[in-house]
Amino acid sequence: MDNCEQGLSEPIWNLAELLERVDHDQELLRDLLNIFKEDFPRTIRSLESAVAAKDLKTCARLGHTLKGMLASLGATRAAAAAASLDLVASSGETASLKESLDTLQREAASLLPELDAYMAEVRR
Amino acid sequence: MKILIADDEALSRRLLEKTLERVGYEVISVENGKQALDELCKPGGPRLALLDWIMPELDGPAVCRAVRTRPEQAYVYMVLLTSKGSKEETVLGLESGADDYLTKPFNAEELRARLRVGERILRLEDRLVEARENMRFRATHDPLTSLLNRGAIMDLLARELHRSRREEKTTLILLGDIDHFKRVNDTFGHVVGDEVLVETANRLLSAVRSYDFVGRYGGEEFLVVLNNCDPAFARTRAEEIRKCISSREIRTAKGPLTLTMSFGVLLSSEWALKTIEELLHEVDIALYDAKAAGRDCLRVSKPTTQPGPTPDSLPHTMRLAH
Repeated sequence: MDNCEQGLSEPIWNLAELLERVDHDQELLRDLLNIFKEDFPRTIRSLESAVAAKDLKTCARLGHTLKGMLASLGATRAAAAAASLDLVASSGETASLKESLDTLQREAASLLPELDAYMAEVRR
Repeated sequence: MKILIADDEALSRRLLEKTLERVGYEVISVENGKQALDELCKPGGPRLALLDWIMPELDGPAVCRAVRTRPEQAYVYMVLLTSKGSKEETVLGLESGADDYLTKPFNAEELRARLRVGERILRLEDRLVEARENMRFRATHDPLTSLLNRGAIMDLLARELHRSRREEKTTLILLGDIDHFKRVNDTFGHVVGDEVLVETANRLLSAVRSYDFVGRYGGEEFLVVLNNCDPAFARTRAEEIRKCISSREIRTAKGPLTLTMSFGVLLSSEWALKTIEELLHEVDIALYDAKAAGRDCLRVSKPTTQPGPTPDSLPHTMRLAH
């Protein structure tokens, strides 16, 4: 368990902070991860459509939602990427939207395997 | 203690729910500002609220503004949750009526500490409201009998007269006085006199309906206001109320006493345009007549201009058979 925690407390996912936030309640943590696994892909898909449609308002709203979700989960870097997308959309920079989305997706791509690994670990 | 959580994002909501349930809060969680406002406006609704800033329907500050405009309701302590961080936004949030704000992602200990601050404020408010209610009760009630005092029953009578005129109903006014009360005080002392007053108050109260009024009008004078009274039964009702005193002995520290009351009675519908002072003057004259006629009886005050037979010897009042 110790090894596992050490391996995962990288800036991509701040597990130590999250464990503290959930008062070391493993059941709650699993609950949160399950909610995330369900809500995150759905929200990202909506965001992709909004970016394609250059719908700034929806981009800002979804960027904000993702920021909250990711920050609550301790996914520091992905949360920062979502925050940046929210800012870009809110300030009307249509040109930078796609780039912000790409950054967010890159961060998500490194985050998701960590979450899966952790879930597999605790389930074992 | 109940607490409302309003957040449209499921993960944060779950985290908040669990964090607060763990320390004993009864959590009500909703997904948007409209639902939040509905919950907060329900009677007995939560008085602590954690509101996400950005939500569908109504955002956090809009919920705060709406809650603060509710008149005469218990204070709700509201904390805005925000991932916004600028000073301008903090000011905007607090100006909207929020008591505090927290930046997401929150720290569980800090969140709970801030909610304890909220609970302290709410306890303080409860104490102030309780003190105000005590003052209000004292200002409107007689300390001995706990009946409405003279000022309060006059206010209620005035309101009731307005209403009965508007709705063309009858308000029955009874002014009663304990017969020979001075003798009770002189013979048995003031403690027994007070016992008699308290028991009289209790009997009068239990002789009327919950929406009628009984007040202590003066020393041993009581004013009874029967709302929406059928004139056909007015005299019967008045007699029943009068007899609630004479029908049974009053138990006192110095033994049981048999006492009677005299009453002046007036039906508001027969005096359509008189002021409350004039009506009370008329009912007082009727009471005086009842006393003059030997006590332990009641007289109904009738307007002299009213057509119909009036007993020759009693121009203002009419003796009731009993």
